[in-house]
Order: sequence, then C-alpha cells, then structure tokens
Amino acid sequence: MPEETAEEELSYEAAREELIAVVHKLEAGGTSLEESLALWERGEKLARTCQGWLDGARKRLDAAVDSDD
Amino acid sequence: MALSTSLESPAPVRQIANAISGWVDRLGVVWVEGQIAQLSRRPGLNTVFMTLRDTVADISISVTCPRTLFDGLNPPLVEGASVVIQAKPSFYAVRGSLSLQARDIRMMGLGELLARIERRRQLLAAEGLFSQELKRKLPFLPHTVGLVTSPGSDAERDVVENSRRRWPSVQVKVAAARMQGQHSPLEVTAALQKLDADPEIDVIVIARGGGSVEDLLPFSDEGLVRAVHKARTPVVSAIGHEADQPLLDLVADVRASTPTDAARRVVPDMAEETQRVDQARQRIRHLMAAWLDREQSGLASIRSRPAMADPRNLLDDRSDEVAQLRDRARRSVRHRLDRADDEILHHAARATALSPLATLRRGYAVVQRADGHVLASVAEVTTGDDLSVRLADGRVHATTTDIENATPLVEAEDEEADA
Repeated sequence: MPEETAEEELSYEAAREELIAVVHKLEAGGTSLEESLALWERGEKLARTCQGWLDGARKRLDAAVDSDD
Repeated sequence: MALSTSLESPAPVRQIANAISGWVDRLGVVWVEGQIAQLSRRPGLNTVFMTLRDTVADISISVTCPRTLFDGLNPPLVEGASVVIQAKPSFYAVRGSLSLQARDIRMMGLGELLARIERRRQLLAAEGLFSQELKRKLPFLPHTVGLVTSPGSDAERDVVENSRRRWPSVQVKVAAARMQGQHSPLEVTAALQKLDADPEIDVIVIARGGGSVEDLLPFSDEGLVRAVHKARTPVVSAIGHEADQPLLDLVADVRASTPTDAARRVVPDMAEETQRVDQARQRIRHLMAAWLDREQSGLASIRSRPAMADPRNLLDDRSDEVAQLRDRARRSVRHRLDRADDEILHHAARATALSPLATLRRGYAVVQRADGHVLASVAEVTTGDDLSVRLADGRVHATTTDIENATPLVEAEDEEADA
C-alpha cells in the first residue's frame, strides 16, 4: 500500500461525490485488477475524509450545546 | 384714494386716523371663526371685551360685544369656546385701536365642531399628511421613550409602568403638557418638539386617558397635527379609548388604542423575546443534528456497499472467474486431445488399411525396377533387367530371365475390342 501523499483538503461534498463515483465504477466492473485495487483504496481514503468532516461537525455542535448547559 | 404726504407737507394725526378708519370700514361686516381667548365682563359696563384667537396661528384680535347680546347667549360664552362671530371691524380713532364690533355670536356646537374637524381632515389628507408611505417603523428596542402627557395622570402611569414591566431597563422621559383645554394643542406641540430635539429619544408617545369629544378636540388641532407630521422621531398616538379617533391618530406613525397598548407597541416584552431567542436556538441545533445524522447514515450505507466493505469478494469474484476459465481451458484441451486421439486412430486404421503390408502378408509382392518404378505391366520390363521384389517381411533382388504375357484378370474389355 503506497504511503498516502499529502492529504489534499477535499471538501465534504467533493469527497462524498467522488466516493459515490468510485463505488459506481467498482460495481460496474470492467476495470482491470490493478485499477480495481487502486479504486478501492481511493474509496477507503475518501470515506475516511468524509467521516473526519462529520466527526468534526458533530464535535463543534456538541461543544456549542455543552457550552451553555 | 392714496394719501399724498411728504416731509414738507405732512398729514396731521387726525387725517391719518380718519383715513385708516375709512379703509377699515371698507371691509364691511364679516363672519369670523376663532376661539375665545380672554373674556372680561365688568359689571356696570354695557360692553364686554374679549380677545378672539385664531384656531391655528398665534394671532388674536380684540372684540367688543354689547352686554345684551353677550348675556343672551345660551349656552353662555366661556373662555376657550370655539365661536363664529358676525362683526364689523372698526378703528377707534381716539385711541387708535382696532376691534371687531360683534353683532352676532354663534356657539360652535358639537356638530359644527365635528364637521369642522372633518373638513380639516379632508384638507390635511389631501395635503398627504396622513399618507401611508410617511409612516415610520418604530425602533424594535428604543433607548429612551419620550412621553407627552399631563404629569401624574393615569395615562402616564399606564405607559411608564407597562413599559418598565415589559423591559425593565427602558428609559422614559416625560414632557409635561396640559392634555385638555384651549392651551393643550400649543403645550403638547411644544413638549413634542422638545422631545423630538433630544437625540437620546427614539420614539415619542402622546398619551391621554379617555374623555369627551370636546376634551379630545385639542388632538385634532391642525397646528399639533402639522407638528407631528414634521417631527423627526416616530410618534405613537395613544389618545382616549379604542373608539376615539382624533386627527392625531391619522398623522402619527402608530396609533395605539390606549396608553397601555402604547407601552406594548413601543417596548418588546423581555420574557417573550428571550423565549423566542431560546426557541430559535433550539431549532437551529435540531436542524444541524438532523442534517448530521442524515449525512452519517448516507456515508454508512455507502461504506457498507459490497464494493467497499469487502474488497475480498471483489478478488473472490476474480479468482472464481479465473478458476472457471482454467476449468474451461482444461476441458477444451482435453476435449481436443481426445479428438486428436480418435483422429490418429482413425488415420492409423486407414493407413494400415491402405498399407500394402496386409496384402503382402496375403502373398502378394511389389516389384520395382532399379529406378524404383513399381511395375504394373510386363511391357515395362525387358529380360535381363534387375528387379526388387518387396515381400511382407523383406526384399528379394532378381534378374528378369523370361517375360510371358498373361490374360488380364478383370477389366479392359474395351481394350480387347480394339485389339
């Protein structure tokens, strides 16, 4: 597994959009073995980015809610 | 007839006085509308002296009225009454004073008063003083509320107490003015202008409790209405009860039905506002949480898709595919080999069938000349030629000693025919 290059800062929407595209391509098939593996790895990384954004948002929301309770 | 006078030939006082008196007389008898400002009826004098004030401008004129006329009036004339007087303006030469000699005085009844207000309303409306575009919005939370009212009145208490109850930190600045009687319009206008000039004040309430139509007349006063129209600060009119509608209501930016209602319109209710703010905050939090949940489940569903969740099946599919291909390949190869075997057997069989060996085994032999040519007829050889005879299990080398024809075994009927 090649070491991740610098994490390019994808917006949540962009990462989510690309993730959906990757999954569609994988499911459509017709890609070479090498390509499929690369696609799958890309998918995993995108999913981690999306999750990062959502966790961040959740933390900020909870912080706001906790700050005045 | 202009009088020609000059430095050299000046006119005596009497001549000037008479001239003035002449001009004044030319005005003739007139009906004059106004308000009785002062009234002095001294016993023993048969003339009553009054001053009549203009309803709008700060102009007044003295009126002399015969006591008999004055006493005959019913209801009796009082200060502040609005009247219409038929009088002849006259110039009293001896003292150089001018006054209206009243011949008839008509009290302005309530009907006339209201009719006059209605006319005034139409006039001012036509002038656009009441138009909707001029209405200014009240500030949501005024820094200081200006209040024109009579000090210590219920109206004052209602406005101040209610405002404080709704928004404890509100400032109220009161400008005192008589809210009844002939002096009321001027005083209210003065108080209004004082508050209007104060930059701290960002809304002005003019408040008065209920009263009779006459009591509320000052609040239809044209001067006051114009002053409110010119005011820089938004004005709230809170005069009398719900039903009362003085002209002030029409020119003010906001009409409150009562002083208490004025407080409600001018100052937001703190408790209510804080509750609204809390509600808003809850709503946005809820919306944000719902949004996050939706996106989270969306992401979860994407990640659970087989292509992502379990790439092994991606590989499994491929390895199955490979296995299948391998099997198919093997099958087809085996199939081909089998066919090849059959073919060879077939050929072999045919070869053996075709091969002369069996024939040779049955006693036949193949004769070839030295050059390898296989003999088919005795004509192809002459005595002495060397021959090679191929038997099933070997060859015999021989030399031709003698040639003998023999009859063909089968065919060649046609050959015999032509022989």
